Parts: sequence; structure tokens; C-alpha cells
Amino acid sequence: MSDENAVEARAARKIYGQGAGAVTALDGVSLLIRKGEFFTLLGPSGCGKTTLLKLIAGFESPTEGQILLDGTDITYDPPNRRPVNTVFQSYALFPHLTVADNIGFGLRMQGRPKREVADTVARMLALVRLEAMADRKPGQLSGGQQQRVALARALAPSPKVLLLDEPLSALDLQLRKEMQVELKRLQVETGITFVFVTHDQEEALTMSDRIGVMQAGRLLQVGDPRAIYTRPANRFVASFIGESNFLTGTRDGDTLALGAGPRLTATAMDGAPASGPVTAAIRPEQVRIVQGGGEGIPATVVRSVYFGTDTHAVVALTDGTEITVRMQSPASGDAGLAPGQEVRLTFEPGALIVLPEVA
Amino acid sequence: MADRSFSISRLPGFGTIAVAVFVMLYAPIAMLVIFSFNAGDSVAIWEGFSLRWYPEAWANEAVKDATWRSLQIATCASILATTVATMAALGTTRRRATRGQSFVYLMINQPLMVPEIVTAVALLIFFSSIKVATGYQGLGYLIVAHAAFCTPFAYLPIRARLEGMDLSLETASADLYASRWQTFRHVTLPLVLPGAVAGLMLAFVTSLDDVVITLFVKSAGQDTLPTYMLAQIRRSVSAEVNAISTLLLLLTVVLLTAFFLLTRKRT
Repeated sequence: MSDENAVEARAARKIYGQGAGAVTALDGVSLLIRKGEFFTLLGPSGCGKTTLLKLIAGFESPTEGQILLDGTDITYDPPNRRPVNTVFQSYALFPHLTVADNIGFGLRMQGRPKREVADTVARMLALVRLEAMADRKPGQLSGGQQQRVALARALAPSPKVLLLDEPLSALDLQLRKEMQVELKRLQVETGITFVFVTHDQEEALTMSDRIGVMQAGRLLQVGDPRAIYTRPANRFVASFIGESNFLTGTRDGDTLALGAGPRLTATAMDGAPASGPVTAAIRPEQVRIVQGGGEGIPATVVRSVYFGTDTHAVVALTDGTEITVRMQSPASGDAGLAPGQEVRLTFEPGALIVLPEVA
Repeated sequence: MADRSFSISRLPGFGTIAVAVFVMLYAPIAMLVIFSFNAGDSVAIWEGFSLRWYPEAWANEAVKDATWRSLQIATCASILATTVATMAALGTTRRRATRGQSFVYLMINQPLMVPEIVTAVALLIFFSSIKVATGYQGLGYLIVAHAAFCTPFAYLPIRARLEGMDLSLETASADLYASRWQTFRHVTLPLVLPGAVAGLMLAFVTSLDDVVITLFVKSAGQDTLPTYMLAQIRRSVSAEVNAISTLLLLLTVVLLTAFFLLTRKRT
């Protein structure tokens, strides 16, 4: 199976400093990244995602563990010997070189023939639509254009893996949306494995084939965006990606008892305790409010806030647990929910997830 | 007054003191330049305008000889100093800060702080033992001595340039298959070049006008322009010295202007 994996990390640990001041940036991460996929490392700052990227690029060596590229151990190869290129957060374009010379830099350093360098540079300029800017210096370009030069420069030597270190964080919202589409297009067109680092969950969900969620130096969950969102492996993933309501109760088979209150149907994640106290999660948009009696769990409206397309309502269950519900605003704009109003809540089977941790 | 913040320029007497300082700084130089165009021999009594001292100084073989030697020493010493300073600047900015960092800075900048006369005497004693041992009497001693005290002058602008450089550029270069040498050649060097040229010029000017160390280190017949002028003035004050000084001043102004243009912040 090793020829299907572009990158493999085996129990990679990275500790900065020594003795009492030592900081564990990466705490034994094992990961397989498949060839040709858009893989995103997602996590809050300081979770170790950039450290993992540096280990793959060769800017740092792991304290323990191995990094493999195409099945070959590259753990201690210097960055210039790895067929891996990086798009830096700061772009790191060479200010003294023109756009064309920046893009051709990697090929020239590899000693490729002039003809080939010129052809590839022309192709890359067309790919990122910057043909008119070939002779400009980076300082004369806008942020978005610099970003595209940085991409073209990293793609020009046809690396086996392209690493992207929060490349969109310096752009404004509008440009960021455009570049998300652009990046995805480039990845599909070139077929190169992309490893993308971000702390922005929306970016991760919209662009990635698969996502690895990291926290405190550990890899918590790897999966495609739908799996990560609908089947979060734990409380951190459930709250970091999207919003979640957390309920604590007692599990008994497929039912979750909330104190002395209602009994709910719940789907258990692997590793969830079979019985006893547990934590379950449900997304605000999965809960429906039913007015005027009927089936469902009784609840009381605490407040409702109008957000335009959405209306958010906070309701309290009979045991006092508060749940946020997100629903589409009706045409009139008024969802008709008054504080103190008695309502009932319903959700589809499978929406309530029992997490693999004790409450 | 709307702006009530403290400004030193509003203190009483500020203007007077500023003018006095500028007069003290530049009046003697102005006098020197003016008297280099004096028709007479005197450096104190104006006898009319003339350019005679310039060709006269140029016709003097001793002046030509000393000028040529000064330029040779300044060129070699400043190149040597800039090379050493570039390496020192790379060594002090391109590695993780260590405990002894400020001590290293102190050691590199030592020639700026030790009294020149102490360095001069030390070099005199040091070089004379080498002269005895090897028999070599050439300009090498002066070049090495000048390079040593010029190094901090070259070091400071180069270090400033390197410190202002984005370190991720060198990381990016390594990421794009450049070896350490290729990274230095294609990224670090072109970016540090304005700083290195500025350092070179500063070192050149510093070497050109040194008297104390040169006097102590030079062998017989190795007069540089400043030591030649000193010897002349001890014999008789001549307007020829004024003419030479004026030309040196001109060279310095040109080099320092270039230095300023190279080191100022790009907009």
C-alpha cells in the first residue's frame, strides 16, 4: 500500500528546548497522506500543525519518529534534497528578483536547462494568470498577486508534495474566498498532493479531500469533511469544527437519559462507553422546534436572535440544560418564538452522537 | 498654542547654541577650503584667489607617492575588513542567540572603544617582533592594521542589513533546492550587497585618514597622505596641505553621500 501514500509520519515527536523549559510541539503523530489528495491539517495555533509541516519540508528534524516520502525515509534529508516545496505564510518572495526569476528559482537551482526553465516559467505564469507581471518585482504586486507568485514558484519544480502554511491568512475576506477556489483548481489541474495548514475550519471543510484535526501536539481525528463534521471523534473536534450542543446523561444502549428528564435516541461513536455517564453532541441546525404540541422533547424558549438567513433560539430542557437551535428564518422574518413559550424538540435519528469520553 | 507637548527646540537659547555648534564644526573646515585657494604662502593672510596650490601639490612627487600608498592601503584594508565583517555579521545574525552574544559584539567592536594609541603601541611591538623574525618590511603590516580597526565600521551597516532581512527568504531558498552556497550566492549576498558596499566605503574613508596607528606601524619611507601632511606641517605650514586636505574632504563627502544613499530606507 505504500505507493498510494505520498507522505507518512511515524510516531513523530518534536520537543523544543531541554530540561524544565522543554516544550512538546508534536506528541507522537502518525499519519498517512494519500497521493494526489488535498489534505488539511486543522487546529488552533500552537497545536503542532506547522511543526508537522516543517518536519515534512525538512526545516526541522523530529526528536523521535520518522517521515517518509513515497515510502522512502527522508527524516534527516536537508530541505534542498526533498522533492517537496512550500508556500510560506509570508510568501517569502525574493525581493531582488523579478516574478519570472522567482518562479524559475527552484528549477535553476536544480540546474535544469535554460530552455526548460523558460518554458516552465511561462506555463506557471499562465497557470496563475500573471503573464503580464513577469518582469515586475514582488514589491510592485498586490497581496493576492504575490500569493499567486508564491504558489507558482512552489509548483514550478513539480514537487511530489506541496506544503501550504496558512497561505491565505494575510488576505482579506473577499480575496481569501477567491484564492480558496483558485487553490482547489490548481490542485485538481496539477494533480499534486497538497498539504494545507490552517486554523480556519471553513477553509478546511470547503477545500479538503481529507482533514486531520490537531490539538496540543496530537492528531485527534482524520477523515473527510463530512465525517469530521457529522461524526466528531471527541468534544474538542465537535466544538472546534462548527458548533455543538453538549448533553450529559446516562447511556443505556441506544438511549440517553438526561437526569430524570427525557430519554433520547443516540448514535454511539466507536469507543463510547456502553453504559453509564456519557457526553453526547448535537449540531444546532439538526434540532427542529415544533410549536403547538405533538411529538418531541418538551422545552422552554429562553431567547431567540434574528441573524438574517438564520434565527438562533436558545431553549431549556426540563432538567435545565440549554440547547442552541439554528433554523432558517421564515419569510415573515419572525419565527414566532417568545421567551417562556413551551415548545417541543425533534431531531433525526443519528443526529445525536455519544462521544467516546466519560461525562 | 494648540500643541503643548514638550519640544527641545522651544527652549530659550536653542537657536543660538545650534548656530554656535555648527560654526565651531564647520568654520575651521571652511577656512581650510578658502585658504587652499590663497595666492600667497600664508595660511592666515589672504593674498588673492589662485588655484596654484593644486597643480603644485600634484607636481610634488612625495605627495603623489603618499597618495598612491594611501589608496593602496585603503583599498586592500577596506576589502579585507568588509570580507571579515560580512562573515562576522553572518556569524552573529544567522544562528540562534547564545549567552555570549553581547560579548561577541563587544569583541568585534573593540577597536571603536580601545584608545587608538593603545592599539598603535601594541601593534608596534607586535609587528616589530614579526619584522625581526621574517625580515618582511612591506605594506602588509599597514594593511592588516588598518583592516583590523576598519572592521567594526564595515560590520555595523552589514549587520543592520542582515538583521533587517526576512529569514524565511533563506528557508525558501533551501526549500527550492538551493545548497547553502547557492543560497548565499543567489539570495543572501544580493540582498546584503548595499550594506556591504556601504561598509566598504565607510572602512575606506576610515583607513584613508588614519594617522595614529599608521605613524606607529609604518616602516621608513612608508608615508601615507595624512602622515606626510603631518610631517609637512611640522616643518612649515603651507597652503599645499590645505589643497590636499580639501581634495580629501571632497573624496570623503562623495563617499559618505553614496553611503547615505545606499543605507537609507527604501520607500
